[in-house]
Amino acid sequence: MNSRAISLALMSLVAILTGCSSAERETAEQAATRFYGAVHDRQGEQACSLLAPSAAEGLSTGGQRCANAILDLELPGGQPVDTAVWGDEAQVRLSRDTVFLHRFPQGWLVRGAGCTARGELPYRCEVTT
Amino acid sequence: MKNFVKNNALSLFFLAAFLLSLVGQSFAGNADANQQRLAEGGAPLSWVSYVTSSDFTADVAENWQSEYLQFLLFILATVWLVQRGSTESKKPGEEGGESDAEQKTGRYAESGSPAWAAAAGWRRSLYGNSLGLVMGAVFLLSWLGQSVSGQASYNAQQLAQLEDPVSWGEYVVSADFWNRTLQNWQSEFLAVLSMVVLSVYLRQRGSTQSKPVGAAHDTTGVEG
Repeated sequence: MNSRAISLALMSLVAILTGCSSAERETAEQAATRFYGAVHDRQGEQACSLLAPSAAEGLSTGGQRCANAILDLELPGGQPVDTAVWGDEAQVRLSRDTVFLHRFPQGWLVRGAGCTARGELPYRCEVTT
Repeated sequence: MKNFVKNNALSLFFLAAFLLSLVGQSFAGNADANQQRLAEGGAPLSWVSYVTSSDFTADVAENWQSEYLQFLLFILATVWLVQRGSTESKKPGEEGGESDAEQKTGRYAESGSPAWAAAAGWRRSLYGNSLGLVMGAVFLLSWLGQSVSGQASYNAQQLAQLEDPVSWGEYVVSADFWNRTLQNWQSEFLAVLSMVVLSVYLRQRGSTQSKPVGAAHDTTGVEG
């Protein structure tokens, strides 16, 4: 076995152990882009359909519909800068925002958006589960 | 077949116990993980997805590394350290690697001795330390596996809690990694300590891990 084969085998082992691949990062990033595309285009219903169920429910309080509430937040969005996928969880850093996603049977859905870092504490998110 | 089972009953018993426990752990772990995922607004995992996940791998690897470390240290410590009266110890005065005659190596090898016990040079040294080396290698590989899968599991949890993931280097100095590691090590070392000390005073009739029931407490290195 040459060194290239050993490197490939080790990378495969790490990918299996960590469940991480570039294809997964790409699909998570696409889901975030679709969500912010809907927000940018003022398609509230479409944006809410890309939220995790509990995140959508969280926006539908006090008689306000999710489709209106999501647009009222004026989420900044931006271009994807960096994406991390670990298991069924993902974080997509955008130029003006950070979004967290969870992989459901139907695909990646947003569970946290409009998020700002708070040092050692969890991000504070406008949209959360 | 009947003879095979009889002659290998001890190995077969522990192999069956290991496999049943591992399968049991996979189902219990899957149910536990799914409860947490649902509470965090996520989707449950199938059994197949769970047993190939970093969560399951980390849980298995962290226990394996501590068990192999326990046996590695026990194997090495009993070369040099003694406990008067213990079945797990050599007699005081016998500390060390012992002579070729005592170990039946080199020209003292017998007709049934393994070939490398009679061989000269590195082969005799390698074979003479092969048990410790294999136990040590499995320990290190399991610990490495724990660190890699533990990082993945930790990062998934971090993201689920809306926190940043960490690098492998950050993870192996993290509280999570050392908490998982040390909580296993302390229990293994306590178990060895208990076995070394209790075998001085207590007996289990018929067991190789006990002195004969009537043996004196200060009789060392005698098994029943």
